[in-house]
Parts: sequence; structure tokens; C-alpha cells
Amino acid sequence: MDKVKVNMVVNGNPVSIEVKPYARLLDVLREDLSLTGTKEGCGVGECGACTVIVDGETVNSCLTLAASMDGKHITTIEGLMENEKLHPIQEAFIKHNALQCGFCTPGLILSAKALLDSNPNPTTEDIKVAISGNLCRCTGYQQVIDAIKEVAEKTR
Amino acid sequence: MMRFNYYRPASVKEACELLNQYQGEAKVIAGGTDLMVQIRDEDKKIAGMKVVIDISHINELRYIQEEDNVIHIGTIVTHDQIYNSPMLRTAAPLLSEACNTVGSPQIRHRGTIGGSICNASPAADPVPALVALNAKVKLESVRGERVVPMVEIFEKPYKTNIAPDELLTEVSFKRLPGSARTSFIKLGRRKALAIARMNVAVVLVLDENDVITEARIAPGSVLPKPGRVSEAEAILVGQKPTAELFESAGKKVAEVMVEKSGIRWSTPYKEPVIAVLTRRALDQALGVE
Repeated sequence: MDKVKVNMVVNGNPVSIEVKPYARLLDVLREDLSLTGTKEGCGVGECGACTVIVDGETVNSCLTLAASMDGKHITTIEGLMENEKLHPIQEAFIKHNALQCGFCTPGLILSAKALLDSNPNPTTEDIKVAISGNLCRCTGYQQVIDAIKEVAEKTR
Repeated sequence: MMRFNYYRPASVKEACELLNQYQGEAKVIAGGTDLMVQIRDEDKKIAGMKVVIDISHINELRYIQEEDNVIHIGTIVTHDQIYNSPMLRTAAPLLSEACNTVGSPQIRHRGTIGGSICNASPAADPVPALVALNAKVKLESVRGERVVPMVEIFEKPYKTNIAPDELLTEVSFKRLPGSARTSFIKLGRRKALAIARMNVAVVLVLDENDVITEARIAPGSVLPKPGRVSEAEAILVGQKPTAELFESAGKKVAEVMVEKSGIRWSTPYKEPVIAVLTRRALDQALGVE
């Protein structure tokens, strides 16, 4: 099988890489780029643990061929820290105990980030829709919603 | 694990040439939200697939346009782009609603209207809306192009009669008249990330005397293949809307389901539920909750 050349930008850094034609974006992030913050849950787009942001929109990296990412800008959970400081959404998740086991957290935080980047003043309903593709079996979601609300209110 | 080669054609012409070269050994990918699951499952639906042709970069297939009251949507337009199109909210609100119920935000950002049609899942949400819009699809190949009513391409669940060398490039439909009332209802096990157990799209047109002049009812996951239920529509046309009328139209849809799909394990559940779902959709179209 012929490898496919892909030029993409991952967390602000240009990446030029040859990928297997059947490799998923999830595989390339975790195996080739060692960005293991992106998790594989169900592998079929049902749980959202593998959520990353591509050109401003959340996608399931388990359902995305890495070969199709040529020219795309990708943000993973590793791309949120700035100058060794956690992103405000990350801080709010800690403050509100919006996680327990943590497996869904990177995906949830990226869904929250994509929401707040495009809609800085979301309603509770907007927040619920934005995280509706991320399953969390620990929190019951209320703490997650509280955390996202607080970030939105602080930046208002 | 399935292995395959990957091609990223830059134009429809190139994509058609690749399809002509590989015929049944090729599968088209756009958003991948269905195909990637089939690849992971090594689904028999894609047995023998050796090549994936990625059309997601072909920008000439990404458009929502209106010309002479006909709306044209390029095949790689995503569910999210349809939902966010202000023009479609007025020209075909039931399609906007249907696309907004697909999967999750992540799925709606990647999944495309063309992919949803070609996957031919009986539970696809956009499909009943497109059926109720009397949509047509454009199929292109090196042999030329043809435009056919969308309902004619469906053979059975997950199977279309699109030829191996053909690419579905566009879906189109007439703008609904301003007087049309529409609705789309999806019944899933939960609100997000649920495949429809059943869904239904309706269009009603009433004249100035409040008489129904046109009715279209398109249920999903109910008939052997997508289509309108003309028997139920006939009950409505020429009548004034009443609770009893809508109830009998709903019952007719259930009756036709049993007639065409037979008695299955799910029938005791689906029969009363599709009747109610249809009645609710008709009520909702008229703004009665």
C-alpha cells in the first residue's frame, strides 16, 4: 500500500508526514506524533473521547482518515497550554471537579473550546448541544456545564 | 484490519476517471462517518474494497445554490453546513431540522448529505426530509451524467443502484411554496448520538379556505425503502385539518408499513408509534403542539 504525504498544522506546528492510507487521524496523533492525550473510546464515533478540532470544528479522530488531513489545522488537548499555564477551560474543569476518571476529559474540553471560540456567550442549551457528542460516565455532566459556564462568564 | 490505497482527486473529472478505473473495488469517502465504521467492522457491505477515493477536497462539490426556485446542494456539503444555511431554513426547514438531528456535533461537522444518501441507511435522518422535498440526485461518470428522482436509487437497506463508476455529485429540489407548512420528527433512544428508531417528515400546503391542497408524508425506518405514503396523503388532500383526520392519516401510515414491510419482531412497537409520530408531525407542521 502506498503511503500518503500529508502536510498539516498540529497545535500550531507544521507537520509533514507520510501516513499509511488506512491510518486514522487518531492513530497518527497517538502513534506517530506521540500526542496520547487524544483517547480512543469506542472507535466508531459514539463516545467522543477522540475529539479533536479540525479547522475550528470538532471531529471524531477515529472516523477521520489521516490521509484526508492535508492542509488542515488540528488542535489536540496538548495544544491548549500556553507558556506552561493551563487553559482557562482546563482550570475550570479542575475547580468544578468536572472529571473523575478523566478518560473523556480531553474530548470534552476540546468540544468546550470549539464552542467558546465560535460562541463566547453560550446558553445552557448551547453548551448541552456542544458536548452532546461526548459521553461521560462519571460526572453526570452538570459539573462540566458549570465549568464551561464559568469560563464564558469570566471572559465576558 | 482492512488495507486499501488512497486517492485524493482534485476534480469531479479525476474522481470519475478513478471510479471508472477501479469500478467495484473503489469506495468514495467524504466525511467518513459511515464508511470508517464499516472499515473498522470489516463489514461485508464493503468486501473487496481495495481503493478509497477521497472527494472531501473537491471544492467544486461544496455549494448551496438557488436557481429558478430550485435549490442545488453539492454532495460534500455537511449536515452542519445545511443546518447553518439561512436560505435552507426558509426554503426547506424540514431538511435543516433533519440534518441537525444527525449523530452529534462531531458527526455533523464531517458527515455529508451525499454520503447520507449513498449509505442508504433506512434510519438516515436527512433522507425522509429529501423524500418529502421530492429531491433529485445527479450522478456523474465518464459516460456522462443523469439526474433521477432520489427515491429511484434505493434498492433495499444499505443498497443503491448507483453504478460502480458513478459519483453522486448533487441533490436538488424545488423551493417549497411560502404557504407550505413542514415538520420533521425523530424518535431515538436518547436525544444525541442515537440512530433513529423511526422518523417522519411532512409537508402540508393549505389554500385560503384552510383546505389541504397538497400533503407529503415520508417516514423513515418504516418502509422497505424510502418513499412517500400516498395512501395516507390521499386521506388529507381536499379536507380541512382536524384531529380525527390527522389521526386517521397516522393510522394509514402504520397500516401501509405492515402491508409493505410485513410483521416483524418490532411491529407491535412500531405500528402504534408510527401512527402517533405521523399525527404529531402533522400537528407540528400546523403549529399545534
